[in-house]
Amino acid sequence: MHSSELLKGTLQTIVLKVLKDNGKMYGYEITTLVKELSENRILLTEGALYPTLHRLEAEGLLRTEVVNIGKRVRKYYALTPDGKAQAKDRVNEFVDFIKTMSAVLHVRMAQ
Amino acid sequence: MSQLTNDHIGHIKKDLCYRGLVLESLEDEMIDHVCSAVEARMLRGARFIDAYHEVLKSFGNTSGLRETQKQTIQFENQKPKNMLKNYFIIAMRNLTKQRFYTFINVAGLATGVAACLVIVLFVINELSYDKHHEKADRIYRVNGEIKFGGNHYKLAVAPAPLAETLIQDYPEVESAMRFRSRGSYLVKKSETADNIKENDVIWADSTFFKIFTVPVLEGNPNTALKEPNSIAISQNIASKFFPEKSALGQTLIMDNDTPMKVTAVYADMPQTGHFVFDILISLSGLDEAKSSNFLSNNFQTYVLLKEGTDAKAFESKLPGLVLKYIGPQAAEILGGEFTLEKFEASGNKLEYTLMPLTDIHLHSDLTAEIRANGNITYVYLFATIAMFILVIACINFMNLSTARSSNRAKEVGVRKVMGSLRSHLIRQFLMESILLSLFSFVLAIAIAYLFIPVFNDLVQKTLFLPLSTVSFYLLILGAALVIGMLAGLYPSFFLSAFKPANVLKGNVSLGMKSGFIRSALVVFQFVISIFLVIGTITVYRQLSYIQHKKIGFEKDQVIVIQDAYALQDNMQSFKNEVLKNSFILSGTISGFLPVQSWRSDNTHWPEGSQPTQENMVGLQTWRVDQDYVKTLGMRIKTGRFFSADFLSDSSAVVLNESAIRQFGFMGDPLGKKISTFTGTGPDGTPDLNSIQSYTIVGIVEDFHFESLKENITPLGLYLGKSNGSIAFRFEAKETQDVIQSIEKTWKAMAPGQPFLYSFLDEDFSRMYNNEQRLGKTFGVFAGLAIIIASLGLFALTAFTAEQRTKEIGIRKVLGASVSSIVLLLSKEFGKLIIIAFVLASPLAWFAVNWWLKNYTYKVEIGILVYVTAGALAFLIAWLTMGYQSIKAATSNPVRSLRSE
Repeated sequence: MHSSELLKGTLQTIVLKVLKDNGKMYGYEITTLVKELSENRILLTEGALYPTLHRLEAEGLLRTEVVNIGKRVRKYYALTPDGKAQAKDRVNEFVDFIKTMSAVLHVRMAQ
Repeated sequence: MSQLTNDHIGHIKKDLCYRGLVLESLEDEMIDHVCSAVEARMLRGARFIDAYHEVLKSFGNTSGLRETQKQTIQFENQKPKNMLKNYFIIAMRNLTKQRFYTFINVAGLATGVAACLVIVLFVINELSYDKHHEKADRIYRVNGEIKFGGNHYKLAVAPAPLAETLIQDYPEVESAMRFRSRGSYLVKKSETADNIKENDVIWADSTFFKIFTVPVLEGNPNTALKEPNSIAISQNIASKFFPEKSALGQTLIMDNDTPMKVTAVYADMPQTGHFVFDILISLSGLDEAKSSNFLSNNFQTYVLLKEGTDAKAFESKLPGLVLKYIGPQAAEILGGEFTLEKFEASGNKLEYTLMPLTDIHLHSDLTAEIRANGNITYVYLFATIAMFILVIACINFMNLSTARSSNRAKEVGVRKVMGSLRSHLIRQFLMESILLSLFSFVLAIAIAYLFIPVFNDLVQKTLFLPLSTVSFYLLILGAALVIGMLAGLYPSFFLSAFKPANVLKGNVSLGMKSGFIRSALVVFQFVISIFLVIGTITVYRQLSYIQHKKIGFEKDQVIVIQDAYALQDNMQSFKNEVLKNSFILSGTISGFLPVQSWRSDNTHWPEGSQPTQENMVGLQTWRVDQDYVKTLGMRIKTGRFFSADFLSDSSAVVLNESAIRQFGFMGDPLGKKISTFTGTGPDGTPDLNSIQSYTIVGIVEDFHFESLKENITPLGLYLGKSNGSIAFRFEAKETQDVIQSIEKTWKAMAPGQPFLYSFLDEDFSRMYNNEQRLGKTFGVFAGLAIIIASLGLFALTAFTAEQRTKEIGIRKVLGASVSSIVLLLSKEFGKLIIIAFVLASPLAWFAVNWWLKNYTYKVEIGILVYVTAGALAFLIAWLTMGYQSIKAATSNPVRSLRSE
């Protein structure tokens, strides 16, 4: 499992990218998907996920949609056009960052 | 697909809520998340309760949940827009909740700002005079000061040859020009057209356009006004007389006899100049302008200095000019032994100084000004009043905010407990005051817009709000922010400083804590108000004193027909014809009426002696007819007035008492003779050989013919022709008849000439226009100041009464009477008003004395005025407080005591 320190700066990028690839999703769905994608190595804690989601929403990158399911409601998140552009930028930025890091740390990544 | 029962979901909801999850936007999705996670675990075979606890653990239990919630709130609110929105919402809620106080605040501030706005427009207008001339910084007017023979003149005029001499003798003078005013003119387009009276006519040198910035629309500014009988006219006049064609090259007939050619048409001169002329007549056609007489001052003279000239240094050379040119001419008249040194040694003065063009409007009040100027004192005065009013309005705001602090102390306490920082609270309170201020400013613009026409009427200006300029709005916005900040600063720091523990325990008596500062502010407000009231009363008292003072003649029921010279030879027959009307009692032909105008003096001395510095008296020379005293109602003290029975009256004179005192005759002055020069030599200086003597036949009691600011100066009445105007005394109540009858006669005898009349009492009060305007303006602003201050006091009392509801209830239950409670409530502020009165009185005393110093004849401002002003302030304050006090005192104590 990766340390949460390392994850901190990438949380927004992960959320944006996941939403970009999968359209609308709700919070629990995001955590399970990330868990699957990372083969259990990234655990999105709820304590970090929800503040992030709300912040992205406040910044206008996400839009929400509330659906009634039985006795409870479910809140779906999806990217706004702004969010889509941001998602692309953030991923590119992160790839750049990894390249820089690998150069700095002299590690060769498997291509 | 859901395996969770409603019970399970209900349990989760309740449990999460119990653990402190309250944020609406987060709650729902957390529940969903937990449910989904629990379902996933139950699918793998876990029991509900185990699954739930496992999930909770992954959230970090209760503290984790709360942390998530807190972080979400923080993230959501981190954007400044949200933060401001929050402040805004809370501010709006507070303001609408406290409608009464909000109204008082907004009304007070808006009135104050509106008054301030109007005054600022006025001040800006006053300060902008003559700034439109491009060379304004290099243009100076030559002012003269002459002290001689008991007279002291401060003149805006200089001798005719001065301008040319300055150009010739002093290389630093680039150019110079002169104005010569000869009153109004009757103007017509052709022999057959009707005359129109034009007031703003001046004779001017052709260098006018070179020195002053007046755009010439038609014609050549370099050649205009060069030829005799050439004129330049404003666009306004051009379109009035020549609406269809170009006015250039056309002819206008002035005063029925002189045709003059239009050589230039210039853009109308702006009202913000110390002169506004419609017609300029070339001075090259005026003989007087070519005179080399340095002893008569009739020309407003302006010099344009070369760039880089030190005006002070240049001014210091002017005494040299006096020595070189004026000394010899004076010596010639006054005898050989005259020298300027001796002249000055005996306390006399003859001096020319320079006044910057842009100073003229506000700093010059000399004899022979072109038009009535403004006064820098009034500009300062109004600016101060504007400041005062604004300060009073701001004080209201501060007072109400701090007074209400006890109501908001709990809010502050709770906010602080919830983790609010002091800076948050300050921001919150500042937001409220800025909102109020913004709102007030918008309202203020509306009020100012409505009242500017009224104010314009008062100050005789055409001010307007620059509603189409962006910078005006920016300025207003900036001012609103600054005022909001200033007014909100003290309350916000004061309120945010509360200690939450104390406040919530309720052991801080906050309402009274800031009592001292609040009292001081109330005192300050009323000091200003009382001061303004005393000022207003003084101005009004002085005005009515002037208007009702025995002025030495009967100013009522006299109609003055102006420009009588238009009658030409019909003058006498016109008078006779009008007198046939039985309502008209008598009439007199004379241009010399006892109202202020610029008249000249002639030197006289007792016959038989040589004219010397010691025995010369500057005497006003008025030419009148036999009916003058009868018509205007002066009283003859001794002797007699002119009469058709005495043929010798053509060399007789009637002096006023001041003149008799000045001459210092031994024994009975009647029958004594005085002498004067009658002719002028070819160069314009008095002709030493033509001396005429007049016999004193009567003495007229002193009457006022100048503003009461001046002493009565020596005056001599002579029998002679003066066709400036005709005055008729008529019977009261028949005014309309009289006017109609006179007009009919005029139309018959002076066809085509404008019929213009005025009433002597109105002309008389016009001399005090400035004072009347000052009085009215002062009154208006003093009223405003009091109203705003009273508004504040009203709200303060309302608040105190509200605070003391319980106390009043208990007192009443224990047997206090209504009057004792009213007294109790009024006492507190009554004390403040008395302190304010004590402070304001000496201030007002100084100011009133300073203002009245200008008047030779002034009203006594007794202690009564001060007491009246104090009583007035007290009464107004008491009425505002009284309403609240009585309301509180008469309320049923059961109601106030039951609600605990």
